[in-house]
Amino acid sequence: MSMNLEREKAPLPIVDLATVKSSMLTKILYGGMVVSMLAAFYFIFMYAEVEKTMGVVQKIFYMHVPSAWVAFLAFFVTFVFSILFLIKRKRIYDTYAYVSAEIGVVFTAIVLTTGPIWAKSSWNTWWAWEPRLTTTLILFFLFMAYLMVRQMDGVWDKKARLAAVFGIIGFADVPIVFFAIRWWQSKFHPIVFGDGPSQEGGGISPSMLVALLVTIAAFTFLYAYILHKGVSFENMKIKVGHYKEKLREKLEN
Amino acid sequence: MLRAALTIAKKDIYSELRTKQVLGTMIIFAGLVILVLSFAFDPANNTTKAVIPGAVWIIIVFSGILGLNRSLVSEQRNDTMHGLLVAPMDASSIYLGKFMANFSMILIVEIVSIPFLFLLFDFKITGSILYFLLVLFVGSFGFIAIGTFLAALASNSKSSEMLLPLLLFPMTSPVLIGVTQATKIILTNMEKLSTALSWMQLVAAYDVIFFVLCFLLIEYVLEV
Amino acid sequence: MGFMYAAYSVVWVIIFGYMLLIGKRHNSLKKDIEFLKQLDR
Repeated sequence: MSMNLEREKAPLPIVDLATVKSSMLTKILYGGMVVSMLAAFYFIFMYAEVEKTMGVVQKIFYMHVPSAWVAFLAFFVTFVFSILFLIKRKRIYDTYAYVSAEIGVVFTAIVLTTGPIWAKSSWNTWWAWEPRLTTTLILFFLFMAYLMVRQMDGVWDKKARLAAVFGIIGFADVPIVFFAIRWWQSKFHPIVFGDGPSQEGGGISPSMLVALLVTIAAFTFLYAYILHKGVSFENMKIKVGHYKEKLREKLEN
Repeated sequence: MLRAALTIAKKDIYSELRTKQVLGTMIIFAGLVILVLSFAFDPANNTTKAVIPGAVWIIIVFSGILGLNRSLVSEQRNDTMHGLLVAPMDASSIYLGKFMANFSMILIVEIVSIPFLFLLFDFKITGSILYFLLVLFVGSFGFIAIGTFLAALASNSKSSEMLLPLLLFPMTSPVLIGVTQATKIILTNMEKLSTALSWMQLVAAYDVIFFVLCFLLIEYVLEV
Repeated sequence: MGFMYAAYSVVWVIIFGYMLLIGKRHNSLKKDIEFLKQLDR
């Protein structure tokens, strides 16, 4: 037995991962999210007036549009962090891009489910080939493609690099898709701007606008919160992965 | 740089002409797609004529994917991709060369299979052949430009045949929309030619934007 | 009217479903960490 009072083998550095560190940012995001969500529900159901033609069903709009906003925001964030990653090559950028894409899928799914529900209730058709909805459908597939690239077999930096490239190209594609579809639709089913399931321009009263803006803010807080939590989680996972690797090496020696 | 690209294009085309394996597969596959379409849609029926413009592009897309995939995956054998990367040329020349080779191949497939499609469906072109060729050119250009790029990206995966369509279809949707609309007008309804030309402008814009983008980003994809 | 309830419930089911998925990942990571801590004792 060694007279050395220290342990004979140096302990592996244990990352103290028992509790999720609650930093200031997390608290702010969480608080902001809760407050704005409650406010949003108040504004949607108490403040905003009931729409004349569609009735109460129109309230779906307050979930549908902010979700679409968040979905596109998420893809934009993925785009920005993809560029940053290709230039700086820091892993944290790739993590942000990846988590944002995952959240984007969730909100795109919300848009694509609330859209048909609204369409069925107002226009009695489950799907409308209108520009925003169809672009969101393609956005969904682009997100999926991004995640599939991320799931490839291989080293993380190759996957991250390829996914980043795809993130950039995919985002560049979205405006073109939107214009192509809008053109496609106007030639055959002239949609008066503002008509159709995602109507926004023309005929939105102030009280509805306020409710919409509050809900957009609420959903943005929700997105930011989930993004923040998601990124810290991924970082933990990466650390644990490194730790396991070191452990494996130790065992082999 | 153009010379390097041409060298690569020539290498690809010559090695293909020796076995004619991929080209043959692409053409046969196109024929099979036409066959399946004739089962799905009744060729004798007049309303089927409306399907033909779309069918043209379905054939191009599906056989194109075959050729695209092989053109990049073949560089994995004997690790020739490393050879290309180490050679004194930009990654962009590799992209350009592969693009030219793939483009020529898809043109050959189109020249063979589209008349076959028209034959089987007894389709009489009541429009301009010249504009039709133009649409084919512009559309295939965009498709192959982004296709070569994504094939290079997907070739890094073990399941590249599955990944490539997943990546390619959403990305090329503007091309497909524009080009089927334009083809429909050109083949059947020549009065709306100006609309067709606008669609072709959209596709041409896509071609330019993504050709340049892929040209610039290819070095990140082909990194060692 | 029923449509509106359907839509809102779909939205919140999706969001909570995602939260559950994240929760599951959290838990399996925690278990991993606990196990590794045990190993190191």
